[in-house]
Amino acid sequence: MALTRALAFDGVAFSYGNVAALSDVSFEIAAGERVALLGRNGAGKSTVVRLVTGLGHPDEGTVWVGDWDTAGRAPEELAWRVGSVFQHADQQLFARTLREDVSFGPRALGLPPREVRRRTDEALDALDLHPHAAQHPYDLSPALRKLAALAGALALEPALLVLDEPTAGLDRAWRARVADAVREHAERGAALLVVTHDLAFAAETLERGIVLDRGRLACDEPLNRLLTSAERLKPLGLVPPPVAALSVALDLPGRPVRERDAAHTLARVAGGRSAS
Amino acid sequence: MSALHPFSLLAIAAALPAFAWILPAPGGGLATTLIAMGLTLTPGASPGSTSAGLTPGWRSGLVTFRTALVIAAPFWLFLRLLHDGPTTVAMGLRITTMVASCVWLVAVLSPDRLVEAMVARGWSLAVAYLFAATLSAVPVLKARARRIVEAQRCRGLSPRGSVANRLRALRALALPLVLSALHEVDERTLALETRGLGMGVRRTPLAAPLDRTAERVARWTLLLLCLTALIRRLA
Amino acid sequence: MRILGLDGVTFWYPATANPALENVSLDVGPGEIVALVGRGGAGASTLLLIAAGLAPRVTGGRLAGSVSRGARAGIVLPTPWTQVSGMAFTVWDEVAFGAANLGWPAHEITRHVDRALERLEIAALASRDPATLSGGELQRVIIAGILAMDPDLVVLDEPTAELDAEGTRAVWRLVRSLAAEGKAVLLATSDVDALPDVADRIAWLEQGSVRALGEPSLLAEDAMCDAGLGTTVAGLWHAAGLGAPYPLTVVDAVQRWR
Repeated sequence: MALTRALAFDGVAFSYGNVAALSDVSFEIAAGERVALLGRNGAGKSTVVRLVTGLGHPDEGTVWVGDWDTAGRAPEELAWRVGSVFQHADQQLFARTLREDVSFGPRALGLPPREVRRRTDEALDALDLHPHAAQHPYDLSPALRKLAALAGALALEPALLVLDEPTAGLDRAWRARVADAVREHAERGAALLVVTHDLAFAAETLERGIVLDRGRLACDEPLNRLLTSAERLKPLGLVPPPVAALSVALDLPGRPVRERDAAHTLARVAGGRSAS
Repeated sequence: MSALHPFSLLAIAAALPAFAWILPAPGGGLATTLIAMGLTLTPGASPGSTSAGLTPGWRSGLVTFRTALVIAAPFWLFLRLLHDGPTTVAMGLRITTMVASCVWLVAVLSPDRLVEAMVARGWSLAVAYLFAATLSAVPVLKARARRIVEAQRCRGLSPRGSVANRLRALRALALPLVLSALHEVDERTLALETRGLGMGVRRTPLAAPLDRTAERVARWTLLLLCLTALIRRLA
Repeated sequence: MRILGLDGVTFWYPATANPALENVSLDVGPGEIVALVGRGGAGASTLLLIAAGLAPRVTGGRLAGSVSRGARAGIVLPTPWTQVSGMAFTVWDEVAFGAANLGWPAHEITRHVDRALERLEIAALASRDPATLSGGELQRVIIAGILAMDPDLVVLDEPTAELDAEGTRAVWRLVRSLAAEGKAVLLATSDVDALPDVADRIAWLEQGSVRALGEPSLLAEDAMCDAGLGTTVAGLWHAAGLGAPYPLTVVDAVQRWR
């Protein structure tokens, strides 16, 4: 179920008490778009996530999830369209088995049992969690619990998937699993908004970067352009990830930011050099 | 209020329910209830105890007052179902005093000042920490409960609606809360060891709260009054 | 002279048949930075707990082999929020918590706490309530709290997990300065790309054993790259089919390219 305009922030301002967390933030995300939400700690990224899920409502401006104004909706209603995984989601699992936890969302939405089973199986599949499906969540390592939380969100089959630091504490292989699951979900038409410090993950999995700086929108552009301009990243407290930095340093044609592209380009250029 | 020595705060919170039970009902219970509920309205509840630290002083007083009311209310209901009018009022007032005193104590007593006070008096750090952990457990559990409820709402669970629905939502909250709290006990034990607890060394008090003579006298006086009232009641 | 010595250590958690660590031998000397790399669950966290003297003493379990520690150890766990005392209303008190528990005189505590706040660049947060801090700020407060206890062996488990780019850089700078003043540092991290400029030695842990131990150039070896544990740049060179030895960092790569 895809929405043409999956998410829109229209002049949004939000404060915690008298501390302004967001000022005049506006952007749109279309179905199938994969967006990274970047910025220093404290720039307002988690606030954006709270507003998207309906846990908070903007003081000014409007947040649109599809054609729904979040101001009139409770989080449990928005769950029909938004699947979210917060930071430290591994602390929020509670069912007796992994499978039961992952199926919680579809069940809470009142879907028929067959549909619940299908979605749960697909979510477990996407993250390779079947071997652990019958285990108790707290018997699993924190990394696996994180993956389980993601599976729970995928099982909702949301039109908009919102993740807050999905790769923190995960090793390379698990990060790849998350990347694959998330990309697959986007290919089916869902929109993706990922808050992350892991610029390497963003480069591999996402295409567009929105950068917040002290509650304001500082940048909104394609990641392959953003990640290769160190002068723009630096004042925002960001550092080009290794592949992008290498591309720039070696002046590789096309300035690839993804590992596979960079490896191909490297091989080609090196081959060209040794030939000449 | 928070300027008082932690032991004074404890003394007041213990004395009020004691008086409520010792003094003749309903007058005694009414007086202590009024005092206890009055205390819950006073500002000075330290930021760390009742919320995430952003609530200004006067508002936290209302929060404490409301919490006391909300906790005491079900007791009145049960009493009314079980007893006649006068007994209900008598017991209800006593229970309300206890509830209000406890709620006020948790709101106004800072765990660290209590630990410092206990350590300065020579209590072992482990015992002192047990008290402090119990006190600070409430806001920690509250914060965690809020996070769990939020996460569940974002997965479609509605905490509103019919009674059956609300009960289901409550169960969905209780289980992870207890599970994660238990799971965390292990982690906490390890984590606190890393901060030097359990070394068996006498802790250096960083800022032992001031124990004014006047307060000490007041505490003993309070105790004496309680005993006197008790003796007179029994005689 | 070594501050920490693990000799043939095998460790079983309580009620577990398979050991979490098998025949591990590792030394860390003063002024040395040793980094553990490996897949999640390979045993790094267990090794760090043993190094800090918390396993088996607090975790329970059985340890075979010997552990020798010449001095006091301090450890920052991968879940620093669990290490918050829960009893301090200001960051200053929080940082002083551990030092006070050691029973030091007040002026000593003040000296160490102020120094720690400065080093972690959080002096501005000194009067804040720890409950209002962000994850990254809290991580730095806990690190400061451990440093204020003046350990000679500093053990860090994923110290940059919650931090942004600037915070991460600050932590690696701190790690180098700790070694520069003679402390021994043992850490585990998934931020492999930072290690060539930080670590003196790397230990590759796989399923509880040390598969390789050596200088950071280890991170550019074929075996590590195949396991996905080498640096990104080395991995790229490897994937591009270019000749060994692979460069470790962007700077290395630029030099190689010329």
